[in-house]
Amino acid sequence: MGEVIVITSGKGGVGKTTTTANVGAGLAKLDKKVILIDTDIGLRNLDVVLGLENRIVYNLVDVIEGNCRIKQALIKDKRYPSLYLLPSAQTRDKTSVSPEQMKKLADELRGEFDYILLDCPAGIEQGFQNAIAGADRALVITTPEVSAVRDADRIIGLLEASEMKQTQLIVNRIRPDMVKRGDMMTSNDVVEILAIDLIGVVPDDENIVISTNQGEPIVGSDAMAGRAYMNICHRLLGEDVPYLDLTIKKGFFSKLFGKN
Amino acid sequence: MKNSVIIKGTPHGIIVVLDDQMEFSELKKQIVEKIKELSKFLGSAQMAISFEGRTLTEEQQREVLDIIAEYSDLHVICVVENNPELDQVFEKALNDKLMELSNTTGQFVKGNLRSGQVLEMETSIIIIGDVNPGASITSKGNIIIIGSLKGTAFAGAGGNNNAFIFALDMNPVQIRIADTIARAPDKPKKGENKEAKIAFLEDGNIYIESVNRRVLSDIRM
Repeated sequence: MGEVIVITSGKGGVGKTTTTANVGAGLAKLDKKVILIDTDIGLRNLDVVLGLENRIVYNLVDVIEGNCRIKQALIKDKRYPSLYLLPSAQTRDKTSVSPEQMKKLADELRGEFDYILLDCPAGIEQGFQNAIAGADRALVITTPEVSAVRDADRIIGLLEASEMKQTQLIVNRIRPDMVKRGDMMTSNDVVEILAIDLIGVVPDDENIVISTNQGEPIVGSDAMAGRAYMNICHRLLGEDVPYLDLTIKKGFFSKLFGKN
Repeated sequence: MKNSVIIKGTPHGIIVVLDDQMEFSELKKQIVEKIKELSKFLGSAQMAISFEGRTLTEEQQREVLDIIAEYSDLHVICVVENNPELDQVFEKALNDKLMELSNTTGQFVKGNLRSGQVLEMETSIIIIGDVNPGASITSKGNIIIIGSLKGTAFAGAGGNNNAFIFALDMNPVQIRIADTIARAPDKPKKGENKEAKIAFLEDGNIYIESVNRRVLSDIRM
């Protein structure tokens, strides 16, 4: 039976979609059969981050409304043979789908896939309620900023109220240099405020911007963020992986050649 | 002619406003007229009654009630005394008792209060967990937080000036005790170590102090 995981944050722009794409691709690399569902109806962009926009024929709302079979709407990612995407509809809104319908859809997919990842829209309204309805586990994304942490706290409260079985935290966009200067919260500070288990810390990395714009997931690459995402995948599988040392060490050669 | 008898209806009772100059026997006749006139309208509801405008002796009150019973189908369940002074005495006695109760009885709550969550109680509250920014906790009695207070806390919500707020880590957005409000400084002090603190009201100001013997002995329950 597959596990349904919702990736949520409350605040927008903290990296839900990027995380969904990379964790999904990472799990696929680890030979798991994964489906990514973009539940952000009306603001579709998971397909763009994955570079699959041009292949969309049917979407989530078509599946829910019975205009097509689930199989027809799934987009297979050529780079990762076991990764599929169910894109969102761009011309509809969140009210086109109900939490019950989402739960039914997720349950139907359980038999077929190892992991069903739901990319949740920002906010706490219907789109959020739809996304969390069928999930077994929630990954809450936040950045080390007070506004994002505040919204994450609200989201965790709502997840607890709806009796989510497991809620874990990903702290995204940590900048080790700023943390070192004391200008940014550490991941420990965030964990202390939110009081839930940490499953990943992802550094701020310009390679992410490049990867997003090229529609190529960064997971598995040598970039810090790519390694951090891969570690999250391993932890999702239940492995105990130590956290990356994010402090920047300049070695002799990199000093010599000005590379970091 | 001036209306010497006025009958006002409320959802649960009627108020009979009586002229205080008129001879009582004359007034009685007027009441009979009025009741006859309104008996259809009033129907056979069960109601409370209250008198205004004139202080009636017990004898007179009985006579008026008899008139109502005779000329209408109303069932008067009780007579509500309309005495502002007595009312105040009642209110004060009730409030004092409730205040004492809210101060000396408490409820335990375990878990973190997160942004957007609200906890309100008549009694004192002992919370085992954190109160995060954006969350609020309101009690008519005292608030004791075995954890961090980073949100809003309102103790003595019924107007109890003796209420206090205790937290292992006192870092609130806002604190209220009875009618007084204190807020966090605009520029938070950095590097202040975590320490159990207590907030209380004195001379109209809220003070937050480290817990020590003197402060504890000043607590009044």
